[in-house]
Amino acid sequence: MPDPRIGTGRFFSGRLLLSADPGDRGSGARTLGQRLKIGYRILGETEMTTRRQILKNAVAPMIVPSLVLGQRAGAVPPNDKIVFGGIGIGSRGTHDLRTLLSFDQAKFVAVCDVRNERREEVKSMVDQKYGNRDCQMYDDQYALLARQDIDAVLIATGDRWHTPLAIIAAQHGKDVYCEKPCSMSMEESWALAGAFRRYNRIYQAGCQRRNGGNFELCKDLLKSGVLGKLETLYANVGPSVNWPPIPSRDWLAAEELPPRQVLDWDRWLGPAPWRPYHSTYVSGGWRNFYDFHGGGILEWGSHTVDLCQWAAELDDTQPVEYEPVGTNVGPYKVLCKYATGVNLVMRDDGWDGSLKTGSCSFRIEGDQGWVETGDATRIECSDNVKPLLRPTKPANLALASHMEDLLRSIKTRQQPRASAAAAANSHIVCHAAFIAYQRGKKLTWDPAQREFTNDDIANRMRSRALREPWRV
Amino acid sequence: MPQTTQTAPAAQAVKPPTPKPPEPPPEFQEGDIATMDATALIRILTDASSSEFRKAKACQRVGELGPKEAVPALSALLSNEHLNTYARYGLEPMADPSADDALRAGLSKLKGNLLIGVINSIGKRRDAKAGPALAKMVYDADADVARAAAEGLGNIGGVSSMKELQAALVKTKGTTRAAVADASLVCAERLLAEGQRDQALALYASLSAPDIPKPARLAAMYGIIREETSTSRPR
Repeated sequence: MPDPRIGTGRFFSGRLLLSADPGDRGSGARTLGQRLKIGYRILGETEMTTRRQILKNAVAPMIVPSLVLGQRAGAVPPNDKIVFGGIGIGSRGTHDLRTLLSFDQAKFVAVCDVRNERREEVKSMVDQKYGNRDCQMYDDQYALLARQDIDAVLIATGDRWHTPLAIIAAQHGKDVYCEKPCSMSMEESWALAGAFRRYNRIYQAGCQRRNGGNFELCKDLLKSGVLGKLETLYANVGPSVNWPPIPSRDWLAAEELPPRQVLDWDRWLGPAPWRPYHSTYVSGGWRNFYDFHGGGILEWGSHTVDLCQWAAELDDTQPVEYEPVGTNVGPYKVLCKYATGVNLVMRDDGWDGSLKTGSCSFRIEGDQGWVETGDATRIECSDNVKPLLRPTKPANLALASHMEDLLRSIKTRQQPRASAAAAANSHIVCHAAFIAYQRGKKLTWDPAQREFTNDDIANRMRSRALREPWRV
Repeated sequence: MPQTTQTAPAAQAVKPPTPKPPEPPPEFQEGDIATMDATALIRILTDASSSEFRKAKACQRVGELGPKEAVPALSALLSNEHLNTYARYGLEPMADPSADDALRAGLSKLKGNLLIGVINSIGKRRDAKAGPALAKMVYDADADVARAAAEGLGNIGGVSSMKELQAALVKTKGTTRAAVADASLVCAERLLAEGQRDQALALYASLSAPDIPKPARLAAMYGIIREETSTSRPR
């Protein structure tokens, strides 16, 4: 992997893109505020002594009331703000960023993108929000990650970059919010979970429905026992008309490559295998191409399979059987079974689901009742469950709650709902189903040994080679 | 009767744009390669007139089928700037040790990113025979190669790698040293998984020096705490 510690200073549109502090990820000079924050964040660890010394030497500034310093009542003091940078902020990332900017305890200071146009757009959005021109732009993620003042990063690149970037961020001591799908393969999923455990960083996958009121209510109903014994979980997967389960391995015809100042194609490709440039990929058309995308199962399964695992409290495991049904051009299913006998059915049930509960819907069936919900917020259920329904916040507020969950976790150092470990497991389920679909046969899986027990070819599909110099 | 808890807001998932992407030209369509057997795929790889696209796709399919007879053809593509990744797609998951031999041979032939790609694949396959070569490369003049070699050693794991990484922690500087520290964390986890607890704890301890980058230093401390407080691991 290229130098993870050194950034390069560059000028874009007459503005200086800051250089990184080479070779130092932790011992550089800091402001008092930064040092205090570090003391807080690793309370109980090695910095305790330093923190005490700092506090001892800094009594006077510490007792000055914030109002004296001109801060408004109720405002979050600057040193208590969680400082964010963003990498690859496109259409979905802008939605994430807009939500993040609505929180007073978060401060966004820098954006990195391989596209000049996107850098400018994000800077403009952030500067407008804060009423200044402070948001810095980078074309090199290492330069952004080397900034000592940045606590966390928002990663919203294409899928191919998600795991490598998240791991690099963890190595730089950053917490992460990363869009889904979080990984391109089983191997990346394991690497992701391992890295965030190793560096003890906070990771929130962009599986925001875990913090959606209607989804939470369904989980609560299952836990309450009103549904009886859990029998089957249903996860709607990407409709085949939009995202077929098996993406194309073709290439588009070569187009003339834009200047590097406009688009850095090499960095856009990143860990994905080389192919000639075509503008369709860059403008969002990379989905449905195998080298960039995990197909319709992963596209929505990273939300809905994830919901099933979470609701049934199966976050620490995966099903042991995967049986594909259907073709690549029509409605399809993958029938899965956990070791406990609980079924998981991944189904292409159309964009809004057959009960019109909205996109990304999921359903829980017990031996005494059932519930189903999706992005339309509405909950459909069996008669015995109806008396227990209550109004929930709209599903489109899930992202704000999810972001709030992340900010709270960064402060408390407790993992949020969509942690790296949980996301890794739900993504592995999707990858296993994707592999079964490609193989066109029922596969059996050993979660502990991390291998298929009845197909060598499937085992060879657990990982993808990453383009040099990238690795996970 | 279904029950509605409240009025439905707009769904969140964003539909993909309706205009379909352009059709791939015939020369860039996988077509028959998807169903070829190993013999036919190797024929594509060894035919000088095969296009870059067909060789790329053949490599990926060979990686799934895993025939050892494809190793010479795949290793010949490691020096190709566009096909190096695809060749490693074929070699990385192959069970036969001849894939290790091919990747190891690349260590002395390749430079720059192509070399780094091969080092990464060696690390992924945990080829212990490559340990001595990687241990030398940790001091390579190309810092990117040095870092890749360090991380390769970490992935390979074992006591030999541990010793090399401990030595490199003292002898390297800057970003290479940071990579050695990251690799040491991985190596320590490998040692723990293999029951070599004392060596793992010693490696974690060697990361406690104040000039080790803080994320790695803290991670080592977490590693020690996790291990010392673990109730699941037999002592």
